[in-house]
Amino acid sequence: MPSETEYRAVADFLYREARLADEARYAEWLALWTEDGVYWVPATTDPGADPERHLSHIYDNRARIETRVKLLQTGVRYSQEPPSLMRRLISNIEVTEADGGELAAESNFILAELAVQARRELHWWAGRLSHRLRRVDGHLKMCRKTVVLVNAAEPLPNLAFLI
Amino acid sequence: MSGPDAAPIDYKALVQDDRIHACLYTDPRVFADEMERIFHRGWVFVGHESEIPRPGDYVTRHVGTEPVIMVRGSDGTVAVLINRCQHRGTMVCPADRGQARTLTCPYHGWTYDLGGALLGVPYPGGYASLDKSANGLARAPRVSSYRGFVWASLSAQGITLAEHLGPATQLIDRSCDLSPVGEVELTAGWVRHRCAANWKMLPENDSDGYHLGFVHMALFRTIRSQYQRVVGDEKTIKAVVRDWGQGHIEIDWSPGYQGLFEWLGNASGPAVADFVAALERRDGPSIARQRFREGPAHALIFPNLFLGETNIAIVQPVSVEECVHWHTPMFWKGVPEWNGRLLRMAEAGMGPASFLMPDDLVIAGRNQLGLHARTAPWLLLGRGLDRETVDAHGRTVSHVTDETTNRGFWRHFRTVMTAT
Repeated sequence: MPSETEYRAVADFLYREARLADEARYAEWLALWTEDGVYWVPATTDPGADPERHLSHIYDNRARIETRVKLLQTGVRYSQEPPSLMRRLISNIEVTEADGGELAAESNFILAELAVQARRELHWWAGRLSHRLRRVDGHLKMCRKTVVLVNAAEPLPNLAFLI
Repeated sequence: MSGPDAAPIDYKALVQDDRIHACLYTDPRVFADEMERIFHRGWVFVGHESEIPRPGDYVTRHVGTEPVIMVRGSDGTVAVLINRCQHRGTMVCPADRGQARTLTCPYHGWTYDLGGALLGVPYPGGYASLDKSANGLARAPRVSSYRGFVWASLSAQGITLAEHLGPATQLIDRSCDLSPVGEVELTAGWVRHRCAANWKMLPENDSDGYHLGFVHMALFRTIRSQYQRVVGDEKTIKAVVRDWGQGHIEIDWSPGYQGLFEWLGNASGPAVADFVAALERRDGPSIARQRFREGPAHALIFPNLFLGETNIAIVQPVSVEECVHWHTPMFWKGVPEWNGRLLRMAEAGMGPASFLMPDDLVIAGRNQLGLHARTAPWLLLGRGLDRETVDAHGRTVSHVTDETTNRGFWRHFRTVMTAT
């Protein structure tokens, strides 16, 4: 069982990550990752999904996470230019201790996105978040983030923002 | 141009050689005509045989806006059934894919075999006589395949698939022949991407070489890619566009490729050596090297199949202002060690979170909004008209930024929409 302090630190991390993504603060969001980070958004809700055999929405290693962020920082990533207006709620947080002194956090999220780039539609996103967190130089960082959308396997509108 | 008593739409006036009218993207009556003339009478790509390898395997798709089931029967043949119970119209198979011995409607238990024949109905005493043979699931009267790619036509009459594809089978060959055993497998699952625009924007954009340096500027500023060479000086670009006829249109990057595997991110290493050796054994070194230099096709097979280099994509019309772009990586049977790389390339290029397609689709969405400006209803289609040429095979070829592909698409559209 993680301590109250650890739980609090993990919750703070999740809230901060959510806020940085919502506010298109790309460099700060990127700084939350470890050097071996893996960012996975499967294209199915099937728990047996395997990114080495099945197509995903996102399966980024650290280099590709950086590319994703750099694209957004060019100012000509038209699918996020201007950036969507977003607010997300993180809830139902459960934290467990994992191997190697890491912490595993599971949570639910719901996100309102106003996609202002064309038809100005409000999109609702929801799903399950799994974070693997590690202390690096005294700061929590994420080494793995998995986002299983409730509609992962359905036709989706643009998902070019940081989910 | 609207109202219940309006005259038939004059497609000859709306589709001209160097311009097209905006209502072709915005008028629901045009969409209804397309569903009948292109997606009901014509040949429509449905799926690939590798998706349903065993008897009883099925996937659900749409032919135009009609829900269908592509199923492998107990005899191994592929049928395309209309996904609607003959009794009260219930969708029989709601899942994206599945495995079944029979197909049973959940509403009143009517049961069909894998070929759609009605096997039985509960409480048959309620029918004085029920002709089972006349009450099976409706099925596409014509289903045909080429190298595992399956097309259906919902009309019993019309040209054959071979006539529809014509020489464009060479484009499919170009992609399939990269497999050492000559087969591709679409087994990674599909990602579907919603697009708030008319379906024709997708085939047009998929074959448009002019937009790359602009719509995808973010990518070109961020990483090097095989498309870099088409965003330079107009005179130094070597890639071409090609109109194969029957609405089949191609961007051919290969004249700009010098080395092998430029289309595969300049892949190298032992896996490449094995791949080269396998194709050299089959085709000899000269043809094998040509295949590895040219890479797979980048071409639209009219109306809804996009050979997207290492991806296969489907264009699904939904309504006059809504469509869905499907994609999956194309695995080459015989060299599974490439699947991981092909998956990562698919995720980079296509889909809602990729580095290319979201930008295309947001521009398509803005096109759709702009096309409602009725005071300026024409779209220009004349780029390159004065410099295109016809090759020895009768195909029109031009600079990669020219609208030869768009004109090829629309010329065939006009033919289909005005056929008697």
